Amino acid sequence: MAPTINDMNRRLLRSISSPTFCYRNSEPHMPSSLNDTHLACHECDLLMGRPDVHEERILVCPRCGSRLISNHANSVERSLALALAGLILLIPANLFPVLTLEVLGREQDQTIFSSAMALYRGQLPLVALCILLFAIVVPICKLLLLAYLSSALHQEKAWPGLKLAMRSYQHLDQWGMLEVYLIAVLVSVVKLVDIARVEPGLGLYSLAALIVVTSLSSIHLDKDLFWHRIDRLTRRSTDV
Amino acid sequence: MYNWKYSACAQSIISCHDCNGLWPLAMDGEHCPRCGAKLHQRKPQSLVRTWALLLTATFLLLPANLLPIMRVTMLGRGEPSTILAGVIELANHGLWVIAFVVLAASILIPVGKILALATLLLAIQRGWTTNMEQKMVMFRIVHWIGRWSMLDIFVVGILVALVQFGNLAYIDGQAGAIAFGGVVIFTMLAANALDTRLIWDRHLQEAPRGPNP
Repeated sequence: MAPTINDMNRRLLRSISSPTFCYRNSEPHMPSSLNDTHLACHECDLLMGRPDVHEERILVCPRCGSRLISNHANSVERSLALALAGLILLIPANLFPVLTLEVLGREQDQTIFSSAMALYRGQLPLVALCILLFAIVVPICKLLLLAYLSSALHQEKAWPGLKLAMRSYQHLDQWGMLEVYLIAVLVSVVKLVDIARVEPGLGLYSLAALIVVTSLSSIHLDKDLFWHRIDRLTRRSTDV
Repeated sequence: MYNWKYSACAQSIISCHDCNGLWPLAMDGEHCPRCGAKLHQRKPQSLVRTWALLLTATFLLLPANLLPIMRVTMLGRGEPSTILAGVIELANHGLWVIAFVVLAASILIPVGKILALATLLLAIQRGWTTNMEQKMVMFRIVHWIGRWSMLDIFVVGILVALVQFGNLAYIDGQAGAIAFGGVVIFTMLAANALDTRLIWDRHLQEAPRGPNP
């Protein structure tokens, strides 16, 4: 009979000579898997025994210094709260004008979407697509995925597509560029302030609040914990 | 700590790119049971892909800086402006801080990123095994800072949307913006394609007894 994954894991566990620690979420009845006892740095591939991570601690790779686990109290609930706050803030940030320009009594509004549309009309559809994706679509997708994931984990329900959602979130993470957009707004204000009157709109304040929320949610996301809990939920649902 | 035998790969273990799960080396090429991503010992063709993306970005750097990214028309008189011209204009107005931010985001960072990634690639291929921590810090900076170069593209979008006053004054985008967006996207993709574990593999295989055995 061909060896199963668990057989291979057990054999590997015996061959590795490093101390093992118990993991915060390992359940006693589950077969001891390599993932519960060990951890490899994703940047330098150092294999180490998984330390017991306590609340509010950040685990850094001892060899290359990359961040391995950033643990926070109530990580899932925190992510859920931040994702919902972000989804609410998205509405004013996208609907209300970010800036209003006034020249000789004529006013011109600008939202994030209208800055993409202006480029689309000006024969630069590729650049318009950049703005549309990085400043609107990706941030929305990130917040929706995070809300979906954290509510599933909070309610301990194995909703469909959790694995795919978490992978998509990780791949989309660096392509959300709201904070870059905010700095671009400030640069534009500086460029325009000499020739016309520029008024910040409600959209600008919502955008600033949205950036605070999305950055906090990126920093506070405990990917390691999320993967462990997703794994537990999906495995439990296939066992039943 | 600095020893080849401590890396997961040397102990016949693959760690998943997406979920960081650990699996036996025999599962190379299969899908990760935890997240569904394809398991590889190292990212496949990492060096070739990174070089290709990096060269694309380098070629695009020329049109990005030479072609105008937008045209400002005031009272019927059109004036195309490149990135560098925009920086000089800001500096002439005495706005040194903003001029420096734009200069850094749109010229220094893309060029610096390309040079840094090329250095890392050469270090892997030639087996330069000094200053490992500095190399990792450099990679992390390149990876984090990449998105900030999008600044100029967003500025063009905002200005084009705002300044639409017919014959009085209007701004429209120009072809340089496409090339510039390409530079930013391709350098970000290049940084993603580079597998940093390769830096350590070479280092540790060639120097089994490091400074801190």
